[in-house]
Amino acid sequence: MSEGRWLVEMRGIIKRFDGVEALSGVDFAVGYQEVVGLLGDNGAGKSTLIKILTGFHTPDAGEIYWEGQPVRFRSPREARALGIETVYQDLALVDKMSIARNFFLGREPVRRIGPFSLLDMGEMEQVTRRVLEEIGIRVRSVWEPVSMLSGGERQSIAIGRALHFGVRLLILDEPTSALSIKETRKVLGYVEEVRRRGLSVIFITHNIYHVYPVADRLVILSHGRKIGDFRRAEVSPETVAEIIAGGMILPEEERS
Amino acid sequence: MDPQTVEARVQMRVRQRAWSISLAELRRYPEVGALAGFLAVFLSFSIVAPHFLTPASLAGIMTIAAELGLVAIGVTLLMIAGEFDLSVGSVLGVSAMAFALMARAGIPHLIAFLGALGLAAAIGALNGWVVTRGRLPSFIVTLGSMMFWRGVLLAVTGGFPIAYEEKSLLMFALSGRLPGGFHASALWFLGVALIATLVLTRTPFGNAIFASGGNPQAARALGVEVARVKQIGFILTAVLAALAGIIQFSRFGSVDPLRGEGMELEAIAATVTGGTLLTGGYGSVMGTVLGALIVGMVRNGLVLAGAPAYWYRAFIGLVLVGAVIINLRIRRSG
Repeated sequence: MSEGRWLVEMRGIIKRFDGVEALSGVDFAVGYQEVVGLLGDNGAGKSTLIKILTGFHTPDAGEIYWEGQPVRFRSPREARALGIETVYQDLALVDKMSIARNFFLGREPVRRIGPFSLLDMGEMEQVTRRVLEEIGIRVRSVWEPVSMLSGGERQSIAIGRALHFGVRLLILDEPTSALSIKETRKVLGYVEEVRRRGLSVIFITHNIYHVYPVADRLVILSHGRKIGDFRRAEVSPETVAEIIAGGMILPEEERS
Repeated sequence: MDPQTVEARVQMRVRQRAWSISLAELRRYPEVGALAGFLAVFLSFSIVAPHFLTPASLAGIMTIAAELGLVAIGVTLLMIAGEFDLSVGSVLGVSAMAFALMARAGIPHLIAFLGALGLAAAIGALNGWVVTRGRLPSFIVTLGSMMFWRGVLLAVTGGFPIAYEEKSLLMFALSGRLPGGFHASALWFLGVALIATLVLTRTPFGNAIFASGGNPQAARALGVEVARVKQIGFILTAVLAALAGIIQFSRFGSVDPLRGEGMELEAIAATVTGGTLLTGGYGSVMGTVLGALIVGMVRNGLVLAGAPAYWYRAFIGLVLVGAVIINLRIRRSG
């Protein structure tokens, strides 16, 4: 066994939905301070694998080890308690809520007044303002709704939130697919920053060119199986694109 | 350009910016539209309807608003959490009837009161359980619940009203007459509104309510237990409807099996007038308080203005649509 090497390790993961095998025995691991690009076409099993890792689904077979210890997640809350956080493309923030409320959602700072726990609004404002400054986003007020922000700013805030709360493993689900080139570059910059601060990152995408600049390792899924696992130095983005294409039903479609 | 013109232009721009900022800030308050509607309705009736501004009239408005408002506060919290409850009118009737029957059977009023609230909590829990467990639309589930409990109520009573002459300290505390003609229910209404506002805007649970309605997937991913939040919302809504029902019973001293019919839609009207979005994730309890007061003013004001009481619903309809238009305008500006 290789404790000490992997932050999280998934072994022989099998998952069936209505008799259809979505994952057929996938091994997947993420090291400490490692950025892993998880690649594959739609339906390859990327999101099923991640939903198992984050406690949304339970696997039909296979084990998960967190820092070498076997774990079993019954809810997203349990995965979160260990420090696994996912930033979903469109689901990272609640649009109608303010930036500060979003930032602290599920982890609100409170002050106890008698038997009641009231939100510490001052703390919420201060911390949110500081983190926004750190990632270079200017807003009139942190109590403005999130819907005022651009797509890249939202991704950045969600990543800044993970950083602030001491997350250990950050999962980014297609973080750049809806962004402009300029904003994509910015988000990739935060991914580097996240690694520098000691976190591990899983970067899910179907576009190798988005993840290649920041990835340490590239894992490719196709039809519920792992068909490639490379250190970046071992492959060129073109080779990876071809492997993905080879495992695809519609070969040339996703190349961009 | 001479310096004076420049100065004037700069000042104008500063003023413009101040105005645009205040508009942007207004948008953060869902109850702005309701406040405008409240003032418009209040001023119109003050001018048109004689005796509108007398204590007796204002007390009457408050009594109507309190009973509707207690129901609407629950409906508001639940709507912000992303769910409807159409069964509140039936729950109101069932709880009032349960209290009346228990009281008539000689059960101490406090126990009857808690029993009726407990019954409502159970109905609310059942609504919530079916909605969250079955992943069914609450509109349909609570429509069914509304019909079911109304039917049970009619069947159990045989359609006859129940009168109850006795008074008790509890009934006085719920709806006794205070100096100035106001009923004690006004205090319950304002107290509950204050607590609900505090919970909604100043506690983690309030945040969870907004998130559950605004974006349930994101909320779940961030560890908010959306199903539990909604479940609690259904229970709270039913309990508040029961409280309103027993308050109303304490005022009338009687209850008929059709009590509370139509209340669910009036509560939704008050809620939406108050700026809460039908689609969830956004709203305020104070807006709903204003919405309930508007309903009360219209009901009382039309009578005082000499209009046939039949016009009441037509008017409420107009106010509702008008307030929603104002709310949308404000949210889209800037």
